Amino acid sequence: MHEYSLACEIFENVMAIAQENNASGVRSITLKIGRLAHINPDQLLFSFETLAEGSIAKDAQVNVEFVPPSIECECGYSGTLDDISDETADTETSLCEYIARMNCPVCGGITKISGGRELIIQTIEVEQ
Amino acid sequence: MLMHVINVGHDVFKANDKIAEHNKKHLDEHGVFALNIMGAIGSGKTTLIEEAIKKLKDRYRIAVIAGDVVADLDASRFEKLGVPTVPANTGRECHLDANLVHRSLEQIDLENTDILFIENVGNLICPVDYKLGEHVRVVVVSVSEGDDIILKHPMIFKTSDFAIIHKVDIAEAVSVDPSTMVDDVHSLNPFIPVLLTSKHNEASINEWVDYIESHLK
Repeated sequence: MHEYSLACEIFENVMAIAQENNASGVRSITLKIGRLAHINPDQLLFSFETLAEGSIAKDAQVNVEFVPPSIECECGYSGTLDDISDETADTETSLCEYIARMNCPVCGGITKISGGRELIIQTIEVEQ
Repeated sequence: MLMHVINVGHDVFKANDKIAEHNKKHLDEHGVFALNIMGAIGSGKTTLIEEAIKKLKDRYRIAVIAGDVVADLDASRFEKLGVPTVPANTGRECHLDANLVHRSLEQIDLENTDILFIENVGNLICPVDYKLGEHVRVVVVSVSEGDDIILKHPMIFKTSDFAIIHKVDIAEAVSVDPSTMVDDVHSLNPFIPVLLTSKHNEASINEWVDYIESHLK
């Protein structure tokens, strides 16, 4: 798993933006994680906390929002799949379930994945 | 104290994708066809690349980027076949990324290369999120990994262009039915070509070579 290196990248980005904005502290960070990305949020947050120790982001609250998969079809259809709300389902089961739902609801064709694989640093709340 | 919310909107994977696009453009400018070979440790990635090199090296100019946590061992296997090889050591990382490939490309004479094999780190999860600039993504899985391996790793099969089920000569010994594995791949990615291979079945290796050559004509 590559959560540690992703956490490094997030930390470096957050620190650079905080510095640009003359921040004295980072209050919160909002991340958007695609449901199809291979990221374990707990591992990511743990790595981030470890990295942020002793920095101005040490007390930052990290909020995670999940992005459901979206698809595009050659017939012109584009849309977003409903979130699988079953919290007890393991990652592979929910990935298979999303993939099973990826046929076009209009023409039945095979669609392209257009969203749901991202890791976005959406907002950072800083103290100035 | 002033509080201030900054909208960032920075996608960490997009940053990698941008470098991957740059790599692909660079490869296209030199007419190089690049394959990203992904699969678990011991699935047979190195062997399949070796077998293809043996059959293609008299007709095409081939180079290899051998990615691994310690890449030198695999790299020496390719060098023995007389093809330029760049070991891409990922250290603690579980996948190649576009930046590592970019640095490796600088060490390859692209003007004199037709085919570039990029052997990814042995892993069915982490390479999925990282484009490298390749033209095709090939996933290799061996029967010895068990016939539930495919549904446990759906995204790599969903996002690949070609799938190889390798070591089919020992399928019976490990109580696996390769046709079940083919069905599993197609349940995730209905139109992906799936090839059954064994190092000891030359016809199957020829089919693998034909697939590569079909992109060069």
